[in-house]
Amino acid sequence: MPGYERAEVSAELTVLPSERAEKPPQEQIEAAKTAASETGLAHEAGPETLVVAGGRREVIEAMMEVVEASLDAGASAVEIKVEAQRDAPRFGG
Amino acid sequence: MTHVQTVPAIPTRERDAAPVTRPGGIGESTTRADGVPKVTGEFEYSSDLFMDGMLWGATLRSPHPHANIWSIDTSEAEAMTGVFAVLTHEDVPGRKVYGMEIPDQPVLAWERVRYGGEPVAVVAADHPETARQALEKISVEYEVLDPLVDAERAIKEGAPKLHLSGNVLRHVRIQHGDAAGAAAEADVVVTGEYEVGMQDQAFLGPESGLAVPDGEGGVDLYISTQWLHVDRDQISESLGLPPEMVRLELSGVGGAFGGREDLSMQIHACLLALHTERPVKMVYNREESFYGHVHRHPAKMSYEHGATNSGELVYVKARFVLDGGAYASSSMAVCLNAATFACGPYKVPNAEVESYLTYTNNPPCGAMRGFGAVQACFGYESQMDKLAEALRMGPVELRVKNAIEPGDRFPFGQEVPPPAPVTEILERVKAMPMPEEKESTGRDLRELPGGVSNTTHGEGVRRGVGYAVSFKNIGFSAGFDDYSTARVVLCVEDGEPLVRVHTAAAEVGQGLVTLQAQIASTELGIERVAVLQADTRVGSAGSTSASRQSYVTGGAVKKACEAVRERLFKRVREELGEGYDELSIVNGNVVSGGEVVSPLVEVLNEEIEETVEYRHKPTYPPDENGQGDVHVQFAFAAHRAVVEVDVELGLVRVVELATAQDVGKAMNPQALEGQIEGGVAQGLGLALLEEIQIKDGRIQNASFTDYLLPTTLDMPSVKMDILELADPDAPYGLKGVGEPPTISSTPAIVAALRDATGRELPRVPVKPEQIVGIAKKLPDEPPQPGSAGYAEVGRLDERREQ
Repeated sequence: MPGYERAEVSAELTVLPSERAEKPPQEQIEAAKTAASETGLAHEAGPETLVVAGGRREVIEAMMEVVEASLDAGASAVEIKVEAQRDAPRFGG
Repeated sequence: MTHVQTVPAIPTRERDAAPVTRPGGIGESTTRADGVPKVTGEFEYSSDLFMDGMLWGATLRSPHPHANIWSIDTSEAEAMTGVFAVLTHEDVPGRKVYGMEIPDQPVLAWERVRYGGEPVAVVAADHPETARQALEKISVEYEVLDPLVDAERAIKEGAPKLHLSGNVLRHVRIQHGDAAGAAAEADVVVTGEYEVGMQDQAFLGPESGLAVPDGEGGVDLYISTQWLHVDRDQISESLGLPPEMVRLELSGVGGAFGGREDLSMQIHACLLALHTERPVKMVYNREESFYGHVHRHPAKMSYEHGATNSGELVYVKARFVLDGGAYASSSMAVCLNAATFACGPYKVPNAEVESYLTYTNNPPCGAMRGFGAVQACFGYESQMDKLAEALRMGPVELRVKNAIEPGDRFPFGQEVPPPAPVTEILERVKAMPMPEEKESTGRDLRELPGGVSNTTHGEGVRRGVGYAVSFKNIGFSAGFDDYSTARVVLCVEDGEPLVRVHTAAAEVGQGLVTLQAQIASTELGIERVAVLQADTRVGSAGSTSASRQSYVTGGAVKKACEAVRERLFKRVREELGEGYDELSIVNGNVVSGGEVVSPLVEVLNEEIEETVEYRHKPTYPPDENGQGDVHVQFAFAAHRAVVEVDVELGLVRVVELATAQDVGKAMNPQALEGQIEGGVAQGLGLALLEEIQIKDGRIQNASFTDYLLPTTLDMPSVKMDILELADPDAPYGLKGVGEPPTISSTPAIVAALRDATGRELPRVPVKPEQIVGIAKKLPDEPPQPGSAGYAEVGRLDERREQ
């Protein structure tokens, strides 16, 4: 029963690790997860994918933390998809 | 990872025509169209679905409640003859997680499993046994981790985090008045620690469905579920398809009670069907079903009630810790419900409530009949009995003294809307005649605790009586856009007027199809009604949960019928002149002033169709102090239980359950009685029998042999007093009726057990060892010789010494 007020914004972040970075790919992803975990807003959504959900400002700030941590760890890219709840094609169409 | 096979073209499953019924009007006890086929075994449940060329799906599940996955090797399984597909998380093309509130649950696990029974891989094969053997050929390398199974520990600092977001799924705090400051004003204070075990919905029809690829990249799924559209939206996200390419049709549902609100095999079956380009059927067996759906949240509750010497409540403090298990499901809403119902339907001037819901490595918990109100009711009603005892007041007297009334405010700040007949239902249930108390010796064994097990002939049997009252929100709360859609068509078929009703509302056994037909017949004055099978070709009806469908989908059907009627009357006036006021439809005729204006068949040269959405009035999320107009409607019920207890063996016979319930309007009295009897049985199960036993995160009793359910021998007769106090905001004044019977029947039975035994009994289900007082440790003194046979054979410890 989705009676709970769902998040205003959700962002899906997929970390693409680099084979040529100093840290191995798994550590690059772990760095992203650690940063996501510290935001308190994130869930895992796949081996390289995270979902961050919450208010717009906090999600954007959390995204920046995750992106920075990923790039610092050597990731080659972070793919991001942001959905506003009112426009998300989920639940009740 | 798919075997390439040549497969036949896939036909779309033929739809049966919707049966035409003559349901009668609202307020009538009408025969259900599905009643006879269910009794005779001809009803087609989702587990009975069949298509030529279909494959059988099966699921590989984690044997560990908490483990890392290092590798998954499917090669041996893929090589088996008859195996068409072996899929892992790598084969999920869209979002790899799902969830109604938070998408946190893997479709198929990748690096980590968080509960015993979590799906890791799925197989499609030409025979269920081949599929099962293929599962055994999949090799998964696990690193077993310590499971975190204690909800209290999970919320403590330093506990291992099971999800990136942490272990606290939700924390709700309700601050009403000044409970701490008011404590000094209380003359009497009682405290208590209470616990509710993990109850299962125990629906009879296991999770099952049939997925059929459409040959164009989409899929049709025939499924037993509670909410077609939310299933569809989650499935399409994980399949990476637009929602219109995933079509769902409800198939026969063998009970739900909340356990079908989450996905189980839906995405798996669709993945396999799309991979193999064949229909794929999945049916869980009974053991697997225990891993395949969520359960009622186990709860630990701490309470403190303060009252004046004359019995007025001064304050309530409550703290709940609810175990959500491995994934979120609908736990967020359950957490809020538990908090808002924590103080009961009483005037509480000061309240402080903390409700925590946590992740653990136990099986996921979510919706079940009563939805957070069940746990709270056991806590607050146990406290009211304890307070009554401390005050030397009668339990009903204390409850009536504090009963909430329209115009009061709940501790969560919402004004109590009328009707709120707490006093009336308590007094009515008390006034019902008590069952005759026969001499306990010399009875038929079936009238004694233990029954034909021949454990007593009446000696050591004591009678007890207990009362409880409860309330529950109807419909979705806290700002959710709660609506239903109905399409109604008025037409002529076989020379007679006919109404067709189409909604996506799930009939799960409660009688909703019949109710929709009754509403259409009433509103349009036409005998013949056909209710189409629920599917996603029409807009969402919301979930069959929260006791909401009669209200919301009933309201949608009513509104659509009204729109059809207006168009019909407009047509009549256009064709026959404007001179007709006050048109109505009577027995298939359009009537004005008692005169027939026109037979309906003559003005229905073109059918009239209307599709409408119906919404109840809005609700709002609570603020940071847990205050707000959170719920839309409240239903109230009171119960009285009479029990007889064999106090030597801890065996119980529930002699009678009596209830008074406000239903607003008895739409179908026979169906209403069924809801009340069924709900009471589920409440009795929680009081005495039903608990999923978990040890170190593993379910110990995943069968209906070991998970104890009440049978007809356990269920007493149920006396009912039905009040019809109309809710002015609801269609026909009705109130949802499905959940209230379950909520206060449990604490009423436990109160009766306390009355009979004098024991505290702070946990449900109550076990025999609690009743005889040896739950925690053996008594210092062994049982004394008495009438249970010791007198003849001697005490057990003495015999051992011989």
